[in-house]
Amino acid sequence: MTLPRRRRARGRVVLVLALLASLVVAPPCGAHVGSPDVWFEGAAGPYPVAVVIRLPGVVPGVAAVTVRITGGAPPTGVTLIVNHFDATAAAPPPEAAARVAGDPMSFSGHLWVMEPGSNSVTVRVTGSRGSGVVVVPVSAVATRRLPLSPVLGTVLVAIAIFLFCGAISIVGAATREGSLEPGHAPDRRRRRSARVAMGITGVVVGAVLLGGWRWWDAVDASYRAEMFRPLASRARVAHGALQLVITDSAWQHRGDTAWLDRHDASVWSPLVPDHGKLVHLFLVRTTGTPVFAHLHPATADTDTFLDGLPHLPPGRYRVFADIVHESGFEQTLTTTADLPAVDGSAGGSVAGSSAGPASGATDADDAFTTHEPVPPDSTVHLDDGSTITWIDPHPLVADVPAGLRFVVRAPGGAPAGLVPYMGMAGHAVIVREDGAVFVHLHPMGTASAAAQQVLVMREPGDSTRGRLAHRLAGASPTAPPGMTAMPGMAAMPGMAAMSAVVGDTVSFPYAFPSAGTYDVWVQVRRGDHVLTAPYVVHVAAAATR
Amino acid sequence: MGRLRSAARELLGGVSAELWDGRSKKAIRLTRRASETGSATDCSEHQADSDSQLWRATRVVTERVRILNGLDNHGLDADDAMTVSIGPTTTAAPRLRAATRVDAVGFTLGAVMLSSVLIVTGLIWDISWHRTVGRDTFWTVPHLQEQFAAALAGLSCGWLVLRTTFAGSHAEKAATVGFWGFRGPLGAWVCIWGTLLMITSAPFDDWWHNAYGLDVKIVSPPHMVLALGMLAIQLGALLFALSAQNRSDDGAAARSAGFVFAVAGGIVVTMVCTLIEENAGVANQMHSPLFYMVTAGALPAFLVALGRAGRLRWPTVTTALVYSGIQLAMLWILELVPATPKLAPIYNPVTHMVPPFFPLLIVVPAAAIDLLLRRWQRGHDWTLAVGLGLAFVGCMIAAHWFWAEFMLSPAARNAVFGADHWGYMNAPGPWQHRYWHEDDHIPWGRGLAIALGLAVATSRVGLWCGNGMRRLVR
Repeated sequence: MTLPRRRRARGRVVLVLALLASLVVAPPCGAHVGSPDVWFEGAAGPYPVAVVIRLPGVVPGVAAVTVRITGGAPPTGVTLIVNHFDATAAAPPPEAAARVAGDPMSFSGHLWVMEPGSNSVTVRVTGSRGSGVVVVPVSAVATRRLPLSPVLGTVLVAIAIFLFCGAISIVGAATREGSLEPGHAPDRRRRRSARVAMGITGVVVGAVLLGGWRWWDAVDASYRAEMFRPLASRARVAHGALQLVITDSAWQHRGDTAWLDRHDASVWSPLVPDHGKLVHLFLVRTTGTPVFAHLHPATADTDTFLDGLPHLPPGRYRVFADIVHESGFEQTLTTTADLPAVDGSAGGSVAGSSAGPASGATDADDAFTTHEPVPPDSTVHLDDGSTITWIDPHPLVADVPAGLRFVVRAPGGAPAGLVPYMGMAGHAVIVREDGAVFVHLHPMGTASAAAQQVLVMREPGDSTRGRLAHRLAGASPTAPPGMTAMPGMAAMPGMAAMSAVVGDTVSFPYAFPSAGTYDVWVQVRRGDHVLTAPYVVHVAAAATR
Repeated sequence: MGRLRSAARELLGGVSAELWDGRSKKAIRLTRRASETGSATDCSEHQADSDSQLWRATRVVTERVRILNGLDNHGLDADDAMTVSIGPTTTAAPRLRAATRVDAVGFTLGAVMLSSVLIVTGLIWDISWHRTVGRDTFWTVPHLQEQFAAALAGLSCGWLVLRTTFAGSHAEKAATVGFWGFRGPLGAWVCIWGTLLMITSAPFDDWWHNAYGLDVKIVSPPHMVLALGMLAIQLGALLFALSAQNRSDDGAAARSAGFVFAVAGGIVVTMVCTLIEENAGVANQMHSPLFYMVTAGALPAFLVALGRAGRLRWPTVTTALVYSGIQLAMLWILELVPATPKLAPIYNPVTHMVPPFFPLLIVVPAAAIDLLLRRWQRGHDWTLAVGLGLAFVGCMIAAHWFWAEFMLSPAARNAVFGADHWGYMNAPGPWQHRYWHEDDHIPWGRGLAIALGLAVATSRVGLWCGNGMRRLVR
């Protein structure tokens, strides 16, 4: 990803430092695919909050933030700060969020996200129970290219033509009459000169317009080139194992600053584990009955990731690999893999689900399902005899909270007694039919717990690559020291879910980003069993936003 | 006195008769003679057509009448002189109602000059805002100042045009140029055009920010549209002042009109210098060929044109001083205003408005331009352009090479020179006190050749524009 050259003129030092810091990933990146908004539930000290951050899809841009206090008395105030992940930078003063009219529990504000990459939004809630803070990780990236509306385009062209003609007329008038003593009419020679001048002006202004047009094109091309693209990767099956390789040159040369500088390439910080795994890899079959697998390949060099392949039906699979960088950047690598037919799975007719090494996978937390997805109002019978039910499903509309709440019952209807699955009360993976939307949710929402941990734990000394990752590795996955350093951070439901028995319900704050047919897989753990419930849902288009 | 006056009458009659007969050579000779007496009237317009010859001769004669009459011109004011001088042509040239015209035009000149200075100071203030506070809205004070300035220029010129077109006397209309059926001074049309351009840039810029990000760059297509609109208003003000200067005959009036013109020019130069400051603004850039290429490409056209068209003894120097004054005033005022950043990441926690850079020392090449323009009269413009180009680049290097050494030294880091002021987004480091070379990998030989080529070319353009500007009276 090239950096805008002009920006270097004055901001070069920022960028040089950023390169040296190595924690900062210069290009934009982000978690998930086609789902840029951040949906978060947590606790700001004593206040349970739901935070929605709608990103502008372009950086720098203005993000709209909504904070809803989901319990207790209305607070007296909410402030917001957005800050770029950079250990050398200071945060701006907090901005007061405005109370939403008619709802004493909701506040809204706008934040200017100036730097692409890992940003934090710090929400402070103040009320009768004191003051509480929560940090929400935001991966701000350029994800969309805004088309010029026909109306605006027409208006601009019309004005351009008007001003073009105006400029020519002014030059003509100046040549014809400008130097003429008052009262005298221009003679033929002056009129001829004026026509020549007008012709020349037409050519010159036309050339300027053309130049401007090409300049615009160049800016647009450069913008498109700098739009977020995840690291390039490749997946294939070899010797019965699934191999994922991050092939991106910028990643391959991540330690070679000379190469990166020479190629004006991105500087990526190391990977950190997110709830215990360096990579969360998801396989979704593109044809026939949707097949879903959630794998955790191991690596020795963070270039190549290997996992024993579960017994999945053959076919072409979309591969989504979630990774988190030391800077708090989350991104989803996307590629495809063709799975060959193996004994016992030929024909793609195998229906079942499983987890753990017994199923052929190598990581104890790997899981997959080949069950046919069902509509939200169906009760899903899970492999261990328990059932999962979508609580109060309602028609889904894009950009409207989806109400992803599920209850799990043991056989016979008793409470299921769910335990954390990789530190989380539950996981949900949502993929649109065409693969253009992918999101990996937890009860805390779209944000990654590791990214949040990174942003809370960062210190000024973290400009040395790997220092924060090292500290992070030493931190308890359930109660990182940085999380308790700020009041109320330990009480976040998502984080609490990493250590506690989580009851029998699980919910995910989220709104589908666009209309379409989606597959939703909900994963929970009962005892030693990872249980996966497949749903298929239809999301209607939002009226107007 | 009586003898002198009769000589004047004789003289006037002679001129009128000659012009009426279409024999213009003597008129030109006369004009030359007049210029030798100290009149600022143009004296070397070989190609002038009969209309302008008539007018020039008239002006010379008016001047002669004044000389002959001494302080007491016995009611022979400009209009009378013109009427007398034109003699047999008065049926074609209506008598001017100068006072009325000056009121309306004078008011508009004042308005567009105010608009022009508000635009450039608003722009410098706005840039400072972006380097200090960062976050802004449509309603920040510098934005409001810009909007007011645009409205002031557009409305005052629009008013003048409508007034002249629909309520102007024949004489008032006669002193204007026509545009799609309307009548107005040339400066008014340029100002209106600039205002429309500024207005157009607003929705374009808004869309641009939504599409490509809230850029902090000065140089982007919508910003350039806006800047061109601003520049057009300032050029319109310049043309207003120019035609006032060119119309004024009296020595003192010509000087004050020439000064107003130089101020208008100084504002334009300040605008141009602000637009190029990303590449040519700060001492750290002054040991790089890019600095000299950019200044050579942007400045000589303006400086030379203003020098050639100005009536002051040192028009270009005055212009450069006006630029320096505006820039210094903004530097010395803004650095006193407390302000803090409101955008992350903050690499440099500033506590006061980050002021503009210390002005470039263009007063040095300006002096060289004035001297060269004075030494080489018209008719040698190509040679002169080469001389001007060489002088510009030479003076720029001579002035800035050592100036940069001082500006990067601790001695310049004070309120007077304002060195070492950086925006909130610039992380402090040794780069602050070093020369920057990362951006351009241009060898000095090539860079210098390009700079010289640009300076010669833009000087030639400046001479060409200046020659045209000298003739503007409407």
